[in-house]
Parts: sequence; C-alpha cells; structure tokens
Amino acid sequence: MQTSELINSYHVDTNTWDEMYANAAVREQYKGVVEFMQGLSIDELNRKEEMARSLFMSQGITFTVYSSGEGIEKIFPFDIIPRIITSAEWNYIEKGIKQRLKALNLFLKDVYNDQFILKDEVVPINIIYSCPHYLREMHGFPVPYDIYVHIAGIDLIRNNDGSFYILEDNLRTPSGVSYMLENREITKRIFPDLLPRNNVRTVTEYPNILHKNLVSLSPRQISNPTIVLLTPGIYNSAYFEHTTLARLMGVELVEGRDLVVSGHRVYMKTTAGLQQVDVIYRRVDDEFLDPLVFNPGSMLGVAGIMNAYRKGNVAIVNAVGNGVADDKAIYSYVPVMIKYYLNEEPILKNVPTYQLSNPDERDFVFANMNRMVIKKTNESGGYGMLMGHVAGDEEIFRYKTEMLKDPRQYIAQPIISLSSAPCYMNGRLQPRRVDLRPYALCSPDGVQIVPGGLTRVALREGSLVVNSSQGGGSKDTWVLAV
Amino acid sequence: MLSRVADSLYWMGRYMERTDGILRMLKINYASSQDDLHEFSWKPVLRTFTYLEEEQANTIAYNSRAVLQYMVADKENPNSVVNIVTHARENARSVQDHITKELWQCLNDYYHRVRDEQLIQLLNREDPITVLDVLIKQGLLYYGTTEITMARGGGYAFINIGKFLERSVQSADILDVKFRDVNYDFTRTDTTYWKYLLLSISGYELYLKTYRSGFDARNVVEQIVLNEDFPRSIIYSINQLHRYFERLKSERNVDAYRTIDFLIGRIKSKVKYSTVETIMKQGLHPYLIGVKEDLYEAGNAFNQYYFAYL
Repeated sequence: MQTSELINSYHVDTNTWDEMYANAAVREQYKGVVEFMQGLSIDELNRKEEMARSLFMSQGITFTVYSSGEGIEKIFPFDIIPRIITSAEWNYIEKGIKQRLKALNLFLKDVYNDQFILKDEVVPINIIYSCPHYLREMHGFPVPYDIYVHIAGIDLIRNNDGSFYILEDNLRTPSGVSYMLENREITKRIFPDLLPRNNVRTVTEYPNILHKNLVSLSPRQISNPTIVLLTPGIYNSAYFEHTTLARLMGVELVEGRDLVVSGHRVYMKTTAGLQQVDVIYRRVDDEFLDPLVFNPGSMLGVAGIMNAYRKGNVAIVNAVGNGVADDKAIYSYVPVMIKYYLNEEPILKNVPTYQLSNPDERDFVFANMNRMVIKKTNESGGYGMLMGHVAGDEEIFRYKTEMLKDPRQYIAQPIISLSSAPCYMNGRLQPRRVDLRPYALCSPDGVQIVPGGLTRVALREGSLVVNSSQGGGSKDTWVLAV
Repeated sequence: MLSRVADSLYWMGRYMERTDGILRMLKINYASSQDDLHEFSWKPVLRTFTYLEEEQANTIAYNSRAVLQYMVADKENPNSVVNIVTHARENARSVQDHITKELWQCLNDYYHRVRDEQLIQLLNREDPITVLDVLIKQGLLYYGTTEITMARGGGYAFINIGKFLERSVQSADILDVKFRDVNYDFTRTDTTYWKYLLLSISGYELYLKTYRSGFDARNVVEQIVLNEDFPRSIIYSINQLHRYFERLKSERNVDAYRTIDFLIGRIKSKVKYSTVETIMKQGLHPYLIGVKEDLYEAGNAFNQYYFAYL
C-alpha cells in the first residue's frame, strides 16, 4: 500500500471533531506531518513504530505487571503520530486554565479557613462536609504563599463543534508528565528534523520550572535547601515517572522509610547521619502520608510528618486536602467559584453536571440514562463509570438502585463525544478519541504552563474512555509557535 | 547520600561482579570440558556457585548443557545469572536518580537480554560459548559505562566497594574449591588443570610471563592470593576495596569510618604480609576461610554503620 492511500483511506466518524481532518481536507497545522508521512513507505512507518517500542523498552519506561510470581514489563502504548494544537488554541487553553487555577487555589484557602463561600451559600455546606477528601486536619493552617495546588493536571476534551471543555481538575498528585517529556524524546528519534521544521514549542523546561518552584517554598531561607521526591516505591505503577522527575531535577528520590520526624522536623537517613528536609514533593496520597493522622496501617508515609507540616518546618507539594476541590460533585461549582472569587466569566466551559441529590436533576437523569455517563465522585482512572449509551438494562438498573441509596456518591453528565485524532494502527490510519492533559505549575510568581501535555488515546475503536487502566495509550502533543 | 541508596548501589556492584565471575567460570569450564580425556565434572563449579545438595549436584554434574541451563537461565536457582541480573537491575531501578541514564539503560538492556528466550535456546542447542560471550560483553558494557559516566562521589565508591568485596570472596572461593577437588595436593603437576583455573579468572597469560618454569601449585596460589598486579587476586581486590572505602572519610560519621577502616586494614595486612610458605604452613583451606570470615565481618559492619535505615 502507498502512503497516499494511507491518508485517503482515513475516514472520520460523522458528528465528531477530528483534529487532522475537516471538510475532506487536512487542517493547516497537520500539513507538515502529512507531507512528511507521504514521503515514507509503509515499511518505514512500521519500522518507526517498532523503534519507538524498543526505545521505551530499553529505557525502562515500563510498568510491571505481576502475574504468576513473575514480573512482566509492559509499555504504555504509544502512537507515533503527534497530536497538534495551534497557537491560537493554546493561548485560549492557557488563559482558561490560569483563571481556573487561580479560583481553585482561592477556594481551597477559603474552605479551610474563613469559609465565606459556604456562608454566602454559593456552594452548599453539605457537599463539602460529606466529601471524604475534606480534611479537618488542614483547618486554620496557613500554607506557604496560600498555594495549595502547585501542580495541576487538568483534563480537557473537545466536543463535536471543536470547543474545549474541562472534564476533570486533577489537583492531588496528577501523573503522566514524564510521558509528556519522554514521548517528545521518542519523536525526536523517530522523526528526525520534523519538530524544528514545524515550529513546535519545547517542553523540556518543565523540570526546571518545577525545581525552581520547589526551592522557593523552602521554610528555611538557605541557599541550598534539601528537596525530596517522596515515592511509594518501585512497585508503584508511576515509579518510572518518579525516578525521571527526581533525575531531571537533581533531587533525592526517597521512600517513607528513608525519612524520620524528630522535634517536628523531617530528616532523611543518610550514610553521614540525619539531614534535614525542607520541601517534599510527594507522590503518596493524603490517606497514606502520616499513619499517626490518617490511615494507621500505612507503610508508605512518615509518622509525624503532618505535625512538622503544620509547624511550618517542611513544605508539602501538593498541599494536603486538595481532594475537596477536585471532587466530581464539587466540580460543577467551579464556574460559580470563578465568578465569586474573581468576578470573571469562566473562559473554559464545564461539562454540564447533574447532582443526583437534587430530585429534579435526578429525575431528568433517570429519564435520559442512555445519553448519560454516570461517575462515582471519588473514583478516578476510569473506574466506577457507566456509559449509558452502551450499558445494558440490567447494569442501568443496578446503578439506579445504588444511586438512590447514596446519591452524593454519583454525578451524571451528558455523553460528550470527544474529538478524534489519527493513529497509526496495523498499517492504517484510523481515527481514535483523544483528550488533553496540560500540566500547570503554580508558584508565588503565578501560574506557568509548559506548552504541551499528555494526549491520551482510547485505542479501542469507538471507545470514549482514554484512561490507561482501561486500555488507553498516548501521543506526543505539539503546540505550534505560529 | 541516603543509606538505602548506598545499600542498593553496593548490592548492584556485588551482583554485577558475581554475574561476571559466574559467566567466565562457565565459559572456561565448558571449554575445559571439551578438552578432557574423561568425563568432565562440574562439581567444583556447582559447589562454589550454587546451593545444591551433594545429591542434586551429582545428577547434573556430568551434563554440561544441564549445568549451563541451571546456572544461566533457571529461575528456580537463586544464584542463576538471570536471577542475579534481575536483582542488580531491581537495585538499579530503585536508585535511578543516582546512576547515570546510560548506566541504567545498560543494565536494563542486560536484563532484557538475559531473559530473551531465543538466546537461552541457543545455550541448549548450539555453541554455548557464543551465548556466554554475548552476556559477558553486556557485562563489559556495564563496567565501561560505570567507569566512563559515573561521577566520582560516594555512589561510585559504594559500587566499587561492593564490586571488590565480591571479587575477593569469589577469588578465595574459586581457589579453595579447585584445590579441594584435588585434596589440596600441591604436588599435582597436571598442566591442563591449573591452566583452566587460571583461564577462568583471566590470569593465564600473566602466569606464563611471571613463572617460566611450568606449572607449580605454589605459584598458582601466589598469583591468585598475593600478586598485587593481578586484578583478580585477593590482595589486589582488598587494596581496591580499601582505596574506595577511604573516599568515604568525612567529618560526619567518624566512628563508623574508624571501625570499618580498622577491619579492612586488618585483612589487608594479614594478606599482604603472608607468603606462600606461611600460607602452606597454616594450610590453604584454613587460611582462605580466615580471609573470607574477615571479609564477611567487614561486610556486616557496612550494613550496620552505613546501610542501616530500617
């Protein structure tokens, strides 16, 4: 097969926004890539695909699946064709995310201190107090520079008219940024010269910005504070990411057992005795952070770390208790938060969300189940989800019963179709649904977003679920300079 | 440096050194098995490098392919190359931010290589030396990458401490087992026997250059224990161990340094001020056991003073 056929045989689903194709023509931003691909044979493309796979394998960009007592190395599927975002689209996304994060940080400060937004009844009190991620331990404690969310991975999707929607705010320990960096490195290898020729903005600044931000949070005003990245350990599926970030920032990668608290200060155990730690970028969830305060059975955390944190002797990134701001039920209030705190109109739209504790909204959802996606408010990774258009009657009935029992646990959203992007699969170009997760970094000097992100792909035909745990893959994500 | 990190680097160094030792042993013993009048016995090898009971060892001792399979690819054998490389890689994986990316990739490639079933099939069906060479080269790549890319800090010191501690124990083991196999008979002049012992630790050419008068068991002992220029001798390994240990000296942790410095210094002078005559007077076996006990004591002191973090 010729590569020109590759493009010609690309058929976009009707009623879907395709990132590459519009009105039977290739969009301007994709022309460079399409032209390049047309200069290649199918064999060459296959070789590039194989090369990408072996690069991931050899660099150990893998996660381990343990079965029958033996570890098997798997790679997170990677599609070689980049997802391209124009500079106009990016400017709009960037502005929208900055606005949203500003409001979310103000909300977290408010909800853990004066609670104006609750007293003014803009956000209902019961939805906050019923959220399991709302932590009383954080009450009345001034976090440094009032920043709760230092790192956010906000998920965006596009519906069939191409407009962007916020799907989720990930404000706790968002992962995947190493794939943004590594996917780009792979592209450099498999498509030589293609990046500079297309004016693609670089993403390599991410670890430097993050490191600078972490240093600025040190409670001790010293020239060389000790920064550590706290990982749950090598069995964590994101372990590769933890090592990559630690290496790129030149900070120590520690596990809970490497740290000890003494006199409300955190120390790490080194070959030359104890060394005080100033800033902890933790990739351990709130629940496991301190066995004295949260889950007493946790082996991943450090006993006494919360006291050291509240005394102001150590900075923790992201702040503890952020889950109250990215809870799926509270998500629907973010647009009103933006108005309440900033007196601005939200730039990026929310997906309409129905609260099942509201009887009118519940009746509406129940009457339209086949057009809805039902999500558990406290689950992520694509777990606890019901896609109404494909679910059987029995499953719908089961969800309805569960939802009536505890409506606070669920929300409903109309199914948004997600835009598609071309993927190279089995020697053919095929449209697959994608989302976009840019990574935003907040510091005392403001919000910075590295131009790029993680594009996740639903590899199964027709699937709308992009989560890696549900068979999703990823793509390199290009933001064009012009 | 974190104690846990030091511990992992030390073990990475030890495991990789052990891998190299095992592969070289296998290669030379296999070659020797093709050069033997009688059926070649793998018993000394199995005794040094496996935990097999006498009985189990006997069942494969005369079957080269079975031994190679067991020593290289058997996942049930805790000391097989595939398992040791996996341990080394797991240690490296947990300290990726302390080794260079090149070194990590090199170990990771080694790991994927040794688990490549096609390669292992060749071990059973075709020329095993080709397969062993592929793996030995992968190990040389590891040494070179360590040497060229690693910063000369504490981490590099701990890798080398592990490496030379392992090597000194290994040389003592190989020597002891080979002599035990001939009942510590120093009058034995069987050229092939000593030749393959020396070859297995890359000391054959040096021996020929040092001793012009043919093979003598006493000279073999001298070279493997006392020759300071022979990189696999016990004295050389202990000198290197001490050299890298001295780099850990710092204002902090003075007691730990002093304790271990004493232990290593003691072994070093014991070996340095031995001669073949004094060794033979004491008996080679008791002498080597003594050296190994001292080395283990130093290893345990590292655990206690530098790696304890639990």
